[in-house]
This record gives sequence, structure tokens and C-alpha cells, in this order.
Amino acid sequence: MPLDALSDPTYLRSIIRLSLTVSLVAVLVSTVLSLPIAFAVGFADFRGKRFVTAVINTGMGFPSVVVGLLVWYVLSNQGPLGTLNLIYTPEAMIVSQCVLAAPVITGVALSAVESVDDAVRDAAYGVGGTRADVALITLKEARYGVITGILAGFGRAISEVGSVLIVGGNIAYADGTSKTRTLTTAIQFEVRKGEFEVALILGAVLLVLVLLVNGLVLRLGGR
Amino acid sequence: MNLEFETVSYGVDDTSILTDVSLSVGAGEVVTVIGPSGAGKTTLLRLAALFERPTAGTVRCDGTDPWSLSRDERLALRRRIGMVFQRASLFETSVARNVDVGQRVRRPWSRRLRAFGRRLADRWLRDGPTVDDRALEALELVGLGDAWDRDAGSLSGGEAQRVSFARALATEPDLLVLDEPTSDLDPRNTAILERAIDRARERGHGVLLATHDMHQAERISDRVAFLLEGELVETGPAARVFENPRDERTARFVRGDLLYDENELLA
Repeated sequence: MPLDALSDPTYLRSIIRLSLTVSLVAVLVSTVLSLPIAFAVGFADFRGKRFVTAVINTGMGFPSVVVGLLVWYVLSNQGPLGTLNLIYTPEAMIVSQCVLAAPVITGVALSAVESVDDAVRDAAYGVGGTRADVALITLKEARYGVITGILAGFGRAISEVGSVLIVGGNIAYADGTSKTRTLTTAIQFEVRKGEFEVALILGAVLLVLVLLVNGLVLRLGGR
Repeated sequence: MNLEFETVSYGVDDTSILTDVSLSVGAGEVVTVIGPSGAGKTTLLRLAALFERPTAGTVRCDGTDPWSLSRDERLALRRRIGMVFQRASLFETSVARNVDVGQRVRRPWSRRLRAFGRRLADRWLRDGPTVDDRALEALELVGLGDAWDRDAGSLSGGEAQRVSFARALATEPDLLVLDEPTSDLDPRNTAILERAIDRARERGHGVLLATHDMHQAERISDRVAFLLEGELVETGPAARVFENPRDERTARFVRGDLLYDENELLA
């Protein structure tokens, strides 16, 4: 039976749980790192601002396999952070997803912040706002763009195959539950085994998850 | 608040925008700055509202140079000034929250965080929106008392500008700085705002206004200042400046004669 792989719900549950955990933690960490950068660059006028913006935008298109290779090199036993023993763990996958998601969140949030009309910032300053108030009001005005950036980062993270395969290894325990197997790497694994039906079902589950998370975030964002 | 410009100049890089401007606005006085586009009116108003620092000369608020004070002391002075811009620039939220934003930013962060928590709870419990008394009073002054729960995005241009005026009024500033607030408004909305300016004067607010509308300047000003190419050409009581200007350039401007180089226009 080709669908035997899905007959045990613990297998599917463990893959879904790991996919969501790794991607959500990666997006959370990326957001915490990215928003201050987006704000600092968006608000400040400094020499080299265009260069910094170009670097951020370039980061949005990093090839994931290259990111995977770099993270693998850094975290592998022979690498600079090899003593942390993170390679082939969910933590390593979080690191690689952060590297991929952070430029996306930063780039889209930066664009959102810069698109807020100077007149709105003037209005916030004109009512007696401090610089922190102006920043907060600008963030509120840019909120839909910032949320879009976070969702785009989540999309990039959860749909990632190449880098999580390299640094995670697509490992399942002997009982079949996932150690570093995510929905995407499981799909790739099932296709290589010729289990297309299983791969399609996992693909559908992935789509539903992305839809649910998008819907929830948009609802919380008030849209 | 008494606002005084003492030989104030302002420039960006090598470009001079204002040169040696001296002007004052007292409590309960409406002073209108007139002049063609590019004369430096907006810059003068931004200096008055402490958005910019003069490159030379001094702006004094009640005799104090704000730029010699600490940031917090200057903030306290800035909060006694309300500014209305040519464009309404409302925030993407309700009318009430647009108008009470000035009061909210004056509250300590602990109170603001508690209020944010309450607002989130209200939202999930689906309680109705609320409006602050002072915000409501400011909205009533501009004839929009019943619009407080509307979304700012649903307002017409004239209504949005009136809300923007109410936003400045709600903080009860000593000085109102108004940058062509009626330039995009129809006669009805213009009349409502002019009445609100009158009320503000009656309450003792000083008003510094920039306008292109000579009739408006004549109607509502105590004093008029004519600005041309960054220099104050003439200042005086409104009736005198309009009926008997001392400078030929002022006379041509208030008559409606354009101050241009005819050869340049025909080129």
C-alpha cells in the first residue's frame, strides 16, 4: 500500500510539529533581528544607505543551497562553531532558515517603513511626539507591509528544502518519528522513493498549514 | 506664548531659504504670512513649530531660545505648539484616535501600555469604541462632533483637514501654526476652519498662518507679513498692509499682479 507511510498518525504529526516549530522559531528570531535593522535603515540618513539597502535586497535572493552549505560549514564538527554540536539538529535548521528569512523580512519591512509618507512622520512629530513616538506611529502606519514581510519570511522558511536538507539531514528516528524531517524534506524523500501519492498529500498538508498561518496572522493584524 | 523671530536665517547646504527674518506672534493674535510659492513660508512655519533649527538668528518662545535647552525642555515647549499642514496627513485609524494622539503621546509609557492592553481586550470582547472628552470638544469646534467613530480613510478632503485641525486643537496649544490649511478646501469647509481659527484666537491662542488667499488674510488676520524670496518685505496691521502697503512689491502682490519676469514666462 503506497499510503502506508501515513497510516501511523504519529509520523505525520511529528513532521508537521517539527516543520511548524522550526519555521515559527526561525521567523520569530528573524523578526526580532530584522525589524530594528529595517527601522534604523528606514529612518536614518547616512552615507552608504543605498549600499546597505542593496545588500539587504540581494540577501532576499540568496540561493538556499548556498546558505545551507555555509551554515553546514560553520556548524559542522570541523567548522568554527563545531563544538556546539548543532549539525543535523532542528537548531541548525533554525539557523539556516533565519539566514534565509531575515533578509526577506528586513527588505519588505524596510520598503514598508520607507513608503510611509514624510507628512505622516511630520504629523506625529507635530502633535508633540518624541522620536520613539514617531517611530511607533510609523510602525503602525507600515503595519500591513511589515506583516506582509513576516509572512513572506515564514513562506520562505517553511517551503525551504535545500538548506534544511543539508544542515538537518532529513533524519527520522527508528520508530519513524521525525528528528530533522520536515514536510518539505519528507516530500522530497517520498518522491525519490516513488511514493507520489504520499508526497502529494504531504504537499496538500503544507499548503493548508501555510494558509492557516497566513489567515491567523492577517486576522491578528486586523485585516 | 509669545513667539519671536530675531533676524532668523535658514539654509540647506549652500541654498539660502530665509534671510534675516524678524517677526513676532503674541497671545490671542493672528499673524498671517503671505507670499508667492517658494517664498519660504513653509520653512518659516517649520522654524516656528521647532521642526527645524535656524542656521543664524534666534527663535524665542516666551523669551527663551528653545535650541539652547535640553531635548526634554525643548519637547515641553514644542508641546505648547500645534501644527496643521497643508495636507491633512491623518493616521490610518479612527477619527477619535487621530484627534487624541497628542494627548496619548503625553502620557507615561506605563499608562500607554495599560491602555493598549485594555484596547486589545475591548477589541476581542467587541466593546464599542470610545472617545476622549477633549478630543470630542475639539471635533465639535470644527463641526465634526458626530464623526468621532468613523474611519479616517472614509472622510472627504475637507473633513480630513478639519480633523487635522481638531488634532492640533485637542492638545490646547498656546500657539497654532497653520500651513495653508484651507488651500484645498471648498468655501464651506474654509468658513468652518476660519471660524475655528477665530474661536482659537478668542481663547487666547496665538496663530501663525500661511496662506495664498488674500481675502482670507484680510478677513482673519491682526497682522500680515509679506515674504518674498526668503526676505520679509513688509509687516503690519492687516488693514494697513492691504489698503496702504508701504512697499511697491507688497502693493503688486496684494493687487494680484504677479511677481514674475515676463520674459521668463514667455520663454
